[in-house]
Amino acid sequence: MIQEETTTLEQRPNKVVAIWRHALVQAFFSDTITLLSAGFLLIIILAAAFAEVVAPYNPQDQQLRLRHYAPLSTGTAVDRTATPPTEDSRFFLLGTDHLGRDYLSRLIFGGRISISVGVMGVLISSVIGVFLGLIAGYYRGLLDDVIMRTVDVFMSVPTLLLALMVLFILGPSFTNIIIVFAVARWMLYCRVTRGVVLSLREQAFVDAARAIGCSDGRIVGRHILPNLITPLLTLAALDVPRNILTESTLSFLGFGIQPPESSWGLMLSQGRQYIVTAWWVVVVPGMAIFMTALSFNLFGVWMRAVSDPLQRWRWLKATKESKEAGIKM
Amino acid sequence: MRNYMIRRVGHSVFIILGLMALLFFAINILGDPVQLLVDEDASQEAIDALRKKFGLDRPLYVRFGDFYWDLARGDFGKSIRHRIDAREMIWDRLPNTAILAVVAWILGSIGIPLGMLAARRPRGMMDRIVNVLSFAIISVPEFWLALMLILVVSVQLGLLPTSGFNGLGPAGWKFMILPAIALCPRVLGRNAQITRATMIEEINKQYVATARAKGLAETTVLYSHVLKNAAISIVTLMGDELAGFMNGSTVVEIIFGWPGIGKLLIDAINARDLPVVTAAVFVIALMVMAINLTVDLVYTWLDPRISYS
Repeated sequence: MIQEETTTLEQRPNKVVAIWRHALVQAFFSDTITLLSAGFLLIIILAAAFAEVVAPYNPQDQQLRLRHYAPLSTGTAVDRTATPPTEDSRFFLLGTDHLGRDYLSRLIFGGRISISVGVMGVLISSVIGVFLGLIAGYYRGLLDDVIMRTVDVFMSVPTLLLALMVLFILGPSFTNIIIVFAVARWMLYCRVTRGVVLSLREQAFVDAARAIGCSDGRIVGRHILPNLITPLLTLAALDVPRNILTESTLSFLGFGIQPPESSWGLMLSQGRQYIVTAWWVVVVPGMAIFMTALSFNLFGVWMRAVSDPLQRWRWLKATKESKEAGIKM
Repeated sequence: MRNYMIRRVGHSVFIILGLMALLFFAINILGDPVQLLVDEDASQEAIDALRKKFGLDRPLYVRFGDFYWDLARGDFGKSIRHRIDAREMIWDRLPNTAILAVVAWILGSIGIPLGMLAARRPRGMMDRIVNVLSFAIISVPEFWLALMLILVVSVQLGLLPTSGFNGLGPAGWKFMILPAIALCPRVLGRNAQITRATMIEEINKQYVATARAKGLAETTVLYSHVLKNAAISIVTLMGDELAGFMNGSTVVEIIFGWPGIGKLLIDAINARDLPVVTAAVFVIALMVMAINLTVDLVYTWLDPRISYS
């Protein structure tokens, strides 16, 4: 008898989770815009991860005779390192830049930097923010005051200004850009985390956990943290494009990624002076930034909508199982 | 109300002092101010001479006290590069940035009617279009839009000058159009999104059901009941966006050669001109603080239910 009860208690939540998951998957595949943006993101991320395999040519290979070839053109490249020099015919899908380098290959390798800066910036700032937010929300008191006043100070400065201050002092580099995001964005995660923790710590399940003698670490780790995953993931999805845009702005201003490394922002900055003679050196990386940021944004908004109990009924349709189980979407 | 205002202003002052302390310690502890001033290959003697000249050989707490004393008097010292009072340089540039930001901000208010249109039928056709459109325009990098505008409007069509500045009077309007357009998309998109979101939230409230039940026309319900309540959030957001204009305006000013504070700051950073950097950061923070304060006060005025006692 006791045995039976425990199984039903454990099985029921699993079944509910399965039904929700099914509805979510259905909503995802039935929404064209979300599907498209997720697909685009997948392609961009895979291309960045496997840049060596995907890129048609070496992004650093300069062919000065092939300067500013228009998109969709072909040219003959010479490899002078080989003896005797060899020639090969190349097809430039997105043209070449002012040093005759294949622009598609540069775009793919530049994307690796742009996207990893965006994602790593989010990871590091969220770890710092969540940690401080948990402390502030869970322990309250003086520590909470100190942390939240610091948040106020950081929040009141425009992101770019903070970023410029940090880079002015530390100097530009890939690592320092990530530090910039840690400094300039942690307070967002701190605020969200603290807000959720404040409402959760008063709830019965936290009291129950405390009553049976759970340690603070266990309460925070096992009972509070899981409830934070959805709001944080949503925030992160919306923050990655902001980071990518900020990185491109910083690189464009010359405070970000430095040559010979390249990012989309730096490509734009280098192509800027050729805008009149070779439009693609400016249009192509700009489109890449735009499309990636847009996809992240649209996907993040979808995540926010389906995780919001007040909004999600518009997105999730009732499935057969959910009706049978009597779950209202 | 008066108590609230005093507390609110005190809070702003605290934030500015905190920020400047952060800047001071970042420059003096994380980095070395002399290293920021000299070129990388400067000799040790030159470095020591500079350290003495700017009083950087004194103990940290003395310099920290001095730093705040200078802030209090609004004295940032002379620009190292231009030999002019840094404060004067800021005052010259401030109106240019402010006017550009306000024009872009007004252009951005087009987002509000767009958001209202979208909110009429959530997940309807119009809503989907506005939704994607608003995210599309906030995903455009400002500097890229600026370059595209120059390419199409100035170079191809030859309608407006590529860059430059000719005063803020009637003679200068031609130079302001493109920078303002390049600067407005973020505000426009955010306005549309927030208007839509708050309108939808309000529509779900009970007083709307009551208004509809007593037979009011849908237009009356939407525009005289819902919009009034949604206005509070919209105003707050518009203030936030005005405070956040520096993010975009720096790069737009650089591209269009617009002599504003953003361009001044970047030039000063490139020239390692510490007094001007400090002054610019201080003034920008001051402006942001003033806008936030105004927003908070407008907020209480719009919504009498909020009392700050």
